[in-house]
Amino acid sequence: MKLATIGVGNAGSKVVDRMVEFESETNRNLCRHVHAINTARTDLAKPEYIPEEQRVLVGDTNQKSKGHGVGGDVEIGAEVMSADIDEIRRAFDDIEIHNVDAILVAAGLGGGTGSGGGPVVIDALQDMYDEPVYALGVLPGEYEGGRPALNAARSLQSFVNKVDNFIGFDNDAWRAREQTIEEGYEEMNRELAARIVTLLAAGETDDTEVAENAMDSSDIIRTLATDGVSSIGYAATAVDAQPEGLLDRWGSSGADEDPLDDASQATKIKSLVRRATNSRLTLPCEVSSAERVLVVLSGPPSEFSRKGIESARQWLEQEAETVEVLVGDDPRENSSRLAAAVLLSNVSDAPRIDTIQNQAVDAQEQIAEQQAAREDKITNLITDENDDLDPVV
Amino acid sequence: MKLALIGVGGAGSRLADTIRGIEAEGGRQLCYGNLLTVDISRTVGGGFDHVPQEQHVTIGDTHRDVEDGVDGDQDLAVEVTRTDSPEIHRALDSITMRKLDGVLVVASLGGGTGSGAGAVLVERLQEMYDKPVYVFGVLPAADEGGRPALNAARSLRSIVPTADSTLLFDNDRWVDTDSDADAPDERYERANRELASRVVTLFARGDHDPSSIGANTLDSSDIVRTLSPGGVASVGYAATELDDGGGLLSWLRSILPGVRETETSDERTDAEKVQSLVRQSLGSQLTLPCEVSSAERVLVVLSGPPDELSRRGFESARQWLEEETETVEVLAGDDPRTGSSTIAATVLLSNVTEVPRINSLQQQAVEHERVGDTLRADGTD
Repeated sequence: MKLATIGVGNAGSKVVDRMVEFESETNRNLCRHVHAINTARTDLAKPEYIPEEQRVLVGDTNQKSKGHGVGGDVEIGAEVMSADIDEIRRAFDDIEIHNVDAILVAAGLGGGTGSGGGPVVIDALQDMYDEPVYALGVLPGEYEGGRPALNAARSLQSFVNKVDNFIGFDNDAWRAREQTIEEGYEEMNRELAARIVTLLAAGETDDTEVAENAMDSSDIIRTLATDGVSSIGYAATAVDAQPEGLLDRWGSSGADEDPLDDASQATKIKSLVRRATNSRLTLPCEVSSAERVLVVLSGPPSEFSRKGIESARQWLEQEAETVEVLVGDDPRENSSRLAAAVLLSNVSDAPRIDTIQNQAVDAQEQIAEQQAAREDKITNLITDENDDLDPVV
Repeated sequence: MKLALIGVGGAGSRLADTIRGIEAEGGRQLCYGNLLTVDISRTVGGGFDHVPQEQHVTIGDTHRDVEDGVDGDQDLAVEVTRTDSPEIHRALDSITMRKLDGVLVVASLGGGTGSGAGAVLVERLQEMYDKPVYVFGVLPAADEGGRPALNAARSLRSIVPTADSTLLFDNDRWVDTDSDADAPDERYERANRELASRVVTLFARGDHDPSSIGANTLDSSDIVRTLSPGGVASVGYAATELDDGGGLLSWLRSILPGVRETETSDERTDAEKVQSLVRQSLGSQLTLPCEVSSAERVLVVLSGPPDELSRRGFESARQWLEEETETVEVLAGDDPRTGSSTIAATVLLSNVTEVPRINSLQQQAVEHERVGDTLRADGTD
């Protein structure tokens, strides 16, 4: 698949940056077009892989932002983005749409710019192009507090209504320990980038490097065409560089992974898919609640066992309780790894979304109470007990 | 954040001078030279270290009641400021507001000029500009007497509803009046310096080069949003040195008797060191002591060398603040400073509504008025 990838806000831009990093490290070519859109000039200076001319600062003439962000305020995020929509459309005019299969908008839902501005950007893209528009949305962790949860719960509705598919990433599930602030985010973004790129880069080549069971971008588009929320599972294993030889055969890789034996190769594929499905999903969810499933096996073609692919597919049909399961391969001749990315499309049972919504309702009530009492409390504070003192002016 | 800085009254002007001095030392910029000091006097004042003479405005020099100043009479200050407002307007014209994010008025609210002229000025600035007008006001210490208390209490009633936010600094807390070690001037000088550095730390975020941009860099929009409920705000600050031999751990043990050796895995210490820093910044270190749970919005910035800014510590400090302040509106940011040997936490509590010091100030003011009335009734005044 070939993508136009757009990061909105700080979190979204960082994810896109890591996606481009991952594809350049693994010789993939998924993102044919990248953009970072932000309201904060400082954050826009951060990406390492997004070219300077592809970074768009919005709201720099807006009184509420002036190139300094929107203060985590979704309303201002949406307002600023709407006000500069013509500039954004001009930037999107550069997308060579005949050269991409779909558009991906990455954004964090807890802040202001991605959360409020993301849906505005998606509207513009849906207007301009017929290609599907997907979102990659980062959900705030519980520890990030009530305001981000409220932003995310409101924003999620807009995102899901407007996109062809919303791929979720839950900061809570991926929260790292023992790290500095910077490393923590970077590692999460790398994990996410590996998953999304491995999944979507399948079938990116138009040439005739035909694999037996090659995944096509139309397969990916079909699986994603559920209008729902999706989650990605992932697992990878090293491929022995030199399969021949007794030592390797009896070496640490074990009989399980012996590449010479077709039966064990099939087992290897199946167990990899099983591991991916049971791995920490980008958005933890009930696998059986998925409507459609797609698996991309990526690695050297010699590793792809038809038997293994078939049994993996059967296992997933049962696991996900759906007959809409596609398993395809993405041949990477020189890769030293065999990876499986599992897309669970339209999962309807994701507990984290429920807890965010609950947290959001509580936050909304608390904010409303505080706002209602605000004026009285201030007056109370500055007025003496019997109101004996007059204001000086 | 770029703010026009306006010092009002003798003390306010000196504070503006001190703030400008800190800017001049390098690193952080707040007003980028856009400043003005206003005082009421018969003679042209000035003589500041960092405020150019042409940016100091003296008003009231032709007013018959004005001597050296208004002698603590805030009503006189109000009258003079209203009469001479064209002069202030002219001076303000020299400031290019278009390029700035707002205005910061600095005044001592115990003084006649600071409390009276300050209130008039805040009103005028709000009429003139479509940008936030913030006030950093200094409350008089209790032992400064009834008149300053009355000035401050009346001034707060005008300034707080008019300004976009009023950050307060309590001299009672900050000027160590019991100490005989230093001359009063020096004590006030120290308090001045402390206040000025708080203002700069909070509002001036430094000129960013990409390496100093945090994962969650707080920007001026974050400060504006935090202060937008209005009311009174207080600023907490705490810092700790990293390179003192025993390091943070020993420092931590020294201030937290409950921390046992067995519990201090790295993970716990990370969380604890940042959390106790934040806790400390809210404890004795608030510019205006207040009931923390009465705050409506909160902003916290952790600065220090990036490899010392632990994610867990950051998260738990934020979470702790949310619980402590009983609000979900807590913005947290990091401010990595490579090579720095200190970790610092700056906390802004916006719209705090339970402030014992303001109550006692009002009582002192009411008492002063009552005594004044009695004296006048007795004909002894």
